[in-house]
Amino acid sequence: MDTSREDVGIAIRSAFLAKGSKQKFSLFALIVLSIIFLFVETIETKPLNYFRSFIKDVIYRGALVVSTPSKSINNFTDFVKEHVHLYDDYNKLKKENDDLKNKISETDFLELENSQLRKLIEEQISSSSNLMSARVMLDKQSPYLNSFIINIGGNKNIKNGMAVLDGKNFIGRIVDVNFFSSRVLLVSDLNSKIPVITEPSAHHAILNGHGKNEPTLEYLPENHNIQNGDKVYTSGKGGIFSPGIPVGEVKIENNIIKVLLFSDLSQITFININLENLDKGK
Amino acid sequence: MAYIYKQIRFKFFELLPLLLLFFISLNGNSTIDLKHFSINVHYILVYYWVLRKPQMLGYGFIFLSGIINDIVFGLPLGVNALSLLIIAAVAAYARVVTVRITLINDWISFIPALLIANFIYFLSLYFSNYSVDYLFLFKDSVFTFIFYPVLWGIFSLILNLTKS
Repeated sequence: MDTSREDVGIAIRSAFLAKGSKQKFSLFALIVLSIIFLFVETIETKPLNYFRSFIKDVIYRGALVVSTPSKSINNFTDFVKEHVHLYDDYNKLKKENDDLKNKISETDFLELENSQLRKLIEEQISSSSNLMSARVMLDKQSPYLNSFIINIGGNKNIKNGMAVLDGKNFIGRIVDVNFFSSRVLLVSDLNSKIPVITEPSAHHAILNGHGKNEPTLEYLPENHNIQNGDKVYTSGKGGIFSPGIPVGEVKIENNIIKVLLFSDLSQITFININLENLDKGK
Repeated sequence: MAYIYKQIRFKFFELLPLLLLFFISLNGNSTIDLKHFSINVHYILVYYWVLRKPQMLGYGFIFLSGIINDIVFGLPLGVNALSLLIIAAVAAYARVVTVRITLINDWISFIPALLIANFIYFLSLYFSNYSVDYLFLFKDSVFTFIFYPVLWGIFSLILNLTKS
């Protein structure tokens, strides 16, 4: 019995502490180093943040180079698919165009009415000039984190928490800023919680991400009257984002209130960043 | 000429696991996520080579590859590095106590490696306040285990090419 216990001890020592041939570090030392890294991640100091930003920028550039072949292959397959579906897409767009033409006059009237009403309540109409454009640099969809990297960062005064839009639709927020790159956490991510308001039902709620599945509305009042097709906008509660940025539309399935986003998160190449927080800070 | 060609081929196959390790880290392919299942190639790669020929995959490189993976996926630094090193540790222990090399032996000893590594992964993310999809983690572990023999076969082929 003692001999077998000794054998196990020897085996563990040999596996963890011995360096072995051509090994420069022991496993034990590297495991301890990893744990130290994990603890250091929780510390926020300027020199550490600079160091992290530098390392991340370098690795993002490396990843960009390495992913070039796979990106080219994906682009080529998309190109072929687009050609295959050309006729169907043409018919769909033609129908959509007719519908939109019919709606234009109605929208013009509503826009005019809306701006007059806003003037009446003295609310400042936000202009589109406080948007900054950026390109998606890396889109490595992790099974655990739905995010991507954009090509601007601290160099363009990007700050954590800024709203990220696809055209005019809300898609996420900035969660990590480096010198020349930033990470955008998408609304579909498990860690994403966005204060929103529904329209026309006018209920405040939290848009909760669920990874691969559609985000859902949570913390709604008990007697809500939300229906399929209701629009969802950012509420601006908490002062994090501007109010009224379109997010998506409600789809109720098995009593779960899902939100179909206006933007397809897998097809984003360029984004706009709402610099409103930056303006407030000035 | 034939000797030089042989040497280059030998060197290439010897470096292949290392190249693969860094390629999948930088390219973000450590987990192949298909429609109904996902496979953690990173775990299988580290486990196989540490078990069979540890001199071809240094522990330092495994650590570095884990750190790169964390940065690419936006996870706290050290999460993947730690779980990969746990896989390597179980593989190193299995190597010390195993006499006969068989697929079944390797496959069975891969179970504790996966369980411990994923448990550590879950704990590190939990303490870093990251939400984890438990079902995905479970499915990933099951399919990584099921898929192990396929990659075992491919890697054994590469290993034979470094010998001949």
